[in-house]
Amino acid sequence: MFKKPAHETISQRMKLIFSDQDERIIEHSPAPVEQILFEVGINPLEVIVSRNGNLISEDTVVGSEDAIRIIRIAHGG
Amino acid sequence: MYQRQSGHHLCETHFIEDIQRRVANTIKTRRMIVPEDRVAVALSGGKDSTALLLLLWQLLPTGQDIRLIAITIDEGISGYRDDTIRSAEQLTSRLGIEHHCISFTDLFGDTLDTFLKGRETQACSICGILRKKALVIAAQRAGATKLATGHNLDDEAQSVLMNVFRGDLPRLCRNSGVDSSGKFIPRIKPLSLISEKEIAVYLMLQNEWNELPECPYTRYALRREIRALLSGFEYKHPGTMLHLIESKKKIERYCAGSVLPASLGSCTMCGDPCSGDLCQVCLLRQTFGH
Ligand SMILES: [Zn+2]
Repeated sequence: MFKKPAHETISQRMKLIFSDQDERIIEHSPAPVEQILFEVGINPLEVIVSRNGNLISEDTVVGSEDAIRIIRIAHGG
Repeated sequence: MYQRQSGHHLCETHFIEDIQRRVANTIKTRRMIVPEDRVAVALSGGKDSTALLLLLWQLLPTGQDIRLIAITIDEGISGYRDDTIRSAEQLTSRLGIEHHCISFTDLFGDTLDTFLKGRETQACSICGILRKKALVIAAQRAGATKLATGHNLDDEAQSVLMNVFRGDLPRLCRNSGVDSSGKFIPRIKPLSLISEKEIAVYLMLQNEWNELPECPYTRYALRREIRALLSGFEYKHPGTMLHLIESKKKIERYCAGSVLPASLGSCTMCGDPCSGDLCQVCLLRQTFGH
């Protein structure tokens, strides 16, 4: 489903920050945001994602030492 | 660069311009706003209404005598509404927009929290009926000619599916266009073709994203389940939400005049237009013993 980057075998640490200040460190090779979300069971349509404070799209490849903030879009208008 | 459902990549500037263009197009093709209109925006302070007010403020041409005002309803939901009202007040004072606030206590004698004691599972339908009435009263008091709400594509698609699941044919057939019967202040939904995610990204890019609490009653809501289900389908099958909305429009056309009563009567207690003897608000008032 996803194209695998050449350096796929190198496992790296990535920090996932969820809205409720709950942070998780995962071991993961560089991959598109969409794939990371898929693996932690999150529908990309229900969140917005930023890296080091900048909004990134679902096909952005994230890698080692990246701090990825996953912000849930709350219902309500 | 951002990715939309279309698969396009847009830079920040073009993403914002694309949203503005599509909203302007919705307003224009459906004749939602015309010169001399006084548009009341239902501003809860949450993301959708914040985006709506900001977009209308950016888009409405000056010089055509179109006035924007904001109205906020304080339902009386503790631990939730205070934050969003503060956010609404800050936004309107920053944009210099006239702002009216009205509470359930003023209008109906008590807070939503009190009305819902023991009826929590009906929270959204009870709140929806009262809030609709409160918005109409607030809009009338403010002299509005249009009432704009922040309903987005996701909300609209969820409503179609909910009415199907409930077997609510009248609601499924109800005309969703701008009402021109003169009986109601016409309600308009300029964001009805913009997805929830696009709204979130737009606000983020405008530095207007606030992390606000979610309404405590949503855990009782059928809509919450429908929302998760539908966004799962939309992700796997892009276009699902638009297809639902297109189906509703088709059903509306086929059912015109055959499911809904041709003319509305008036509520015997308050005189508001309704289909039975009593309007939904007066029915609720009876239930609450007010
Ligand atoms: Zn009534």
